[in-house]
Amino acid sequence: MQSSGADRIRRLLTAGAGALLAALMALVLIVGFRLATRIRANVALLQRASLLEAYPSEVSQQLTALRERLGTLEYTGGVHQELADSVAKFDRNLAALERRPGVDPAVLRAAGRLWRAYTPVLAPVLSYSGEPYSDTDFGSSLSVSGKIFYTQVRRAELFAQSSAPALHRRLAALSTALQKRTSRAASRLRLLLSAGVLAVLLLGAAAAYLQLARSRGERAARAAEEQTRDILHTVREGLFLLDADYRIGAVWSQALSHLFGREDFAGLPFEELLRDKVSPATLATATKYIKLLWGERAHENLMKSINPLGQLEVMLDNGRGGKETHYLQFNFHRVLGPKGVKHVLCTVADITSNVMLARELNEAQESAHSQIDMMVSMLHSDPLQVGGFLDTASAGLKHVNAILKEPARSHAEFSRKLTGLSRELHSIKGEASALNLMSIAQRVHHLEDMVEELKGKSELTGNDFLPLVLKLDELLAHLRAVREMILRLGTLKDGTSPSDGTLSTPILRLTGAERPNGADELATTLQGLARKLAEDHGKPFTLSLEGLEAVPTAYLPTVKDCLIQMLRNAAVHGIEPDAVRRAGSKTATGQVRAQFRRLESGCELVFEDDGAGLSPEALKEAAVRKQLLTEEQAAELDNRSALALIFKPGFSTRAEVSMDAGRGAGMDVVAKAVYALGGRIGVSTHPGRFTRFKIALPAPSQTAVA
Amino acid sequence: MSSGYPLDRRPVKLLIVDDSNIVRRRIERSQQFDDLQVVGTAANGFEALELARRTDPDLVTMDLTMPQMDGIECITQLVKLKPAVRILVISALADKATAVEAMERGANGFLNKPFSDRQLNEAIAELMY
Repeated sequence: MQSSGADRIRRLLTAGAGALLAALMALVLIVGFRLATRIRANVALLQRASLLEAYPSEVSQQLTALRERLGTLEYTGGVHQELADSVAKFDRNLAALERRPGVDPAVLRAAGRLWRAYTPVLAPVLSYSGEPYSDTDFGSSLSVSGKIFYTQVRRAELFAQSSAPALHRRLAALSTALQKRTSRAASRLRLLLSAGVLAVLLLGAAAAYLQLARSRGERAARAAEEQTRDILHTVREGLFLLDADYRIGAVWSQALSHLFGREDFAGLPFEELLRDKVSPATLATATKYIKLLWGERAHENLMKSINPLGQLEVMLDNGRGGKETHYLQFNFHRVLGPKGVKHVLCTVADITSNVMLARELNEAQESAHSQIDMMVSMLHSDPLQVGGFLDTASAGLKHVNAILKEPARSHAEFSRKLTGLSRELHSIKGEASALNLMSIAQRVHHLEDMVEELKGKSELTGNDFLPLVLKLDELLAHLRAVREMILRLGTLKDGTSPSDGTLSTPILRLTGAERPNGADELATTLQGLARKLAEDHGKPFTLSLEGLEAVPTAYLPTVKDCLIQMLRNAAVHGIEPDAVRRAGSKTATGQVRAQFRRLESGCELVFEDDGAGLSPEALKEAAVRKQLLTEEQAAELDNRSALALIFKPGFSTRAEVSMDAGRGAGMDVVAKAVYALGGRIGVSTHPGRFTRFKIALPAPSQTAVA
Repeated sequence: MSSGYPLDRRPVKLLIVDDSNIVRRRIERSQQFDDLQVVGTAANGFEALELARRTDPDLVTMDLTMPQMDGIECITQLVKLKPAVRILVISALADKATAVEAMERGANGFLNKPFSDRQLNEAIAELMY
């Protein structure tokens, strides 16, 4: 991986030395070949020289043999012929030697001179062709030419005998010289061969070293490669390089495959990586951003701050065939080369758990805030009442839950469910706002909004109720939190200021069985709500309560719910603004009265206000508007029946929705609660003067009390 | 910070573009550079281009959401008009897509509202010196 300069130089040196040695080897071979050739030539010459060496004595011996044969009158032809051959061979070999350069020329010349001196004496002998003998009957004798021939042979013999040693010496010297030359060449060849062997050894050593160095380098490269692979396998982020065409490089980390569930990243355009996973707008922004990274203006910090992929919501395969929302964080780092940006290194991390954690933290913070709000409001309210409220609210919400769980199929059934939900929620909201527990009231209000929205739908299915269930869970959790807080608050107050006059009873006992006087609690709640309503609606009125202590415990919750609802109705619909009251010659302050009595036949609850009263006509119009009645039905309705409309589910005369009234759930809740106890409810009114509700309840049975 | 650039240089001419008067004053007042000279303030894109034509600014701080001509459009035209001008986008938009868009059109820097004087000065220093 890391190819340093020194490394390169070393490699160059070894390569140079190798080349040099190879050249040397070639030289050795060429020179050796030439030497060998010369030695072979010399050896041939030496052979000839050795042959020549023998000839002088051979010639003189042949001449002697010829002379002796002539003397004994023997046949001379053979010997004569042999002599001629020898002379001819000598001539040939000498001429061959003389043609060869490099043989000691002086010695050769001297030998040549000596040999040529033979010619005058040898020529007549060789050229003789006559008959040397004259044969008679008496015997044979030398012929005339034979005698001359004999003389010539004799002369040649004498010459040869005198010249042969000198010639032999010359020729021997020539041989020696040649021998010396040959052996010199041979030793040179030996030397050369030794040098060659040495060079070969050196070359082999160099090659071995080179091989070793290379395998070491390869090993290092392999190790580096392996490390890179390990890094890419282990790193938890997706890592890859983008080239100037915004394509992914050939190397990427394993985590990238896990994140995107694919392997074909090499050469993949960055856009393709995100396509189908993000919205087209985000994709377009991402593409622009990537292009900007290559620009001059792309300051690293700046680019980081505008990174649109810092927290990218994507849909990824969850490995089980489904899709899952993940949050990915892309970071980009520019890799600079000599000519500007070379690559962009991209890291991708799955930050889903971080995002979720942050979200939870946020929610926890929000809940802490609302808890504080709640605490503040509770510090201002009577803990006894709050405790009571929490009990009824939890019971109410459980009822809501039960309603939600009821199976329903038809639209009518769903509608009925919704109406039931509305009623329950409405009464909980009323109590919550009476106690100034705004965080609860708002939550319930929100739930009511959702219910209203569902009511507006023409088609309802079970799925439509799911958000409600979730919201309800949230509300229940909130109620639990409030209850816990009350407990804590109670301990706190108990511990720090036991003599605090405003809190005569420890709150802790609220949740226990020994409930303090329910009537007192109810009275406090109602008076509190009355004050709040008067303030909220700008309608001053007084509430007088009578006989509440006589309410049987079994009826307390119902009586409480009814009174709260009727009180709200009185404040919203009944009591007029003080200007109207004054004009109608009434007291500026309205009067609201609730009276509970035990009768022989049972109990009676009377609730009245000196407000505007109910207008049968207005009630009918509202009922038509709400589509509870057709116009014809409304026209036929008498006043009494018209007044009874207020007990119908979904009826409300108020067009606007406020926290206190107008949801259309109100008197029907009261009526339903009364009917549930086996009671009756009636209303009487006089326009401009009063509205009076009379509720008759049966005497509480022993079982009901228990 | 003032030692990071030569003092003998001619002052950098700054044009402030923001539809909020408060922000414009805020940027004007926060300048701690001796050689930064506010040559104009504009409340929308048209004014900005007109002022840029007249005053030839070196640096423009640019809001993105403005009436009549928004910042993105203004940047596009400003870059055509004065290719050498440096543009620092100052915007409350947390939307990264808009930031990328602004950069693509030719903005040089980005600063999120609300910003501190220090952040502003650093952003300007990064662009100009």
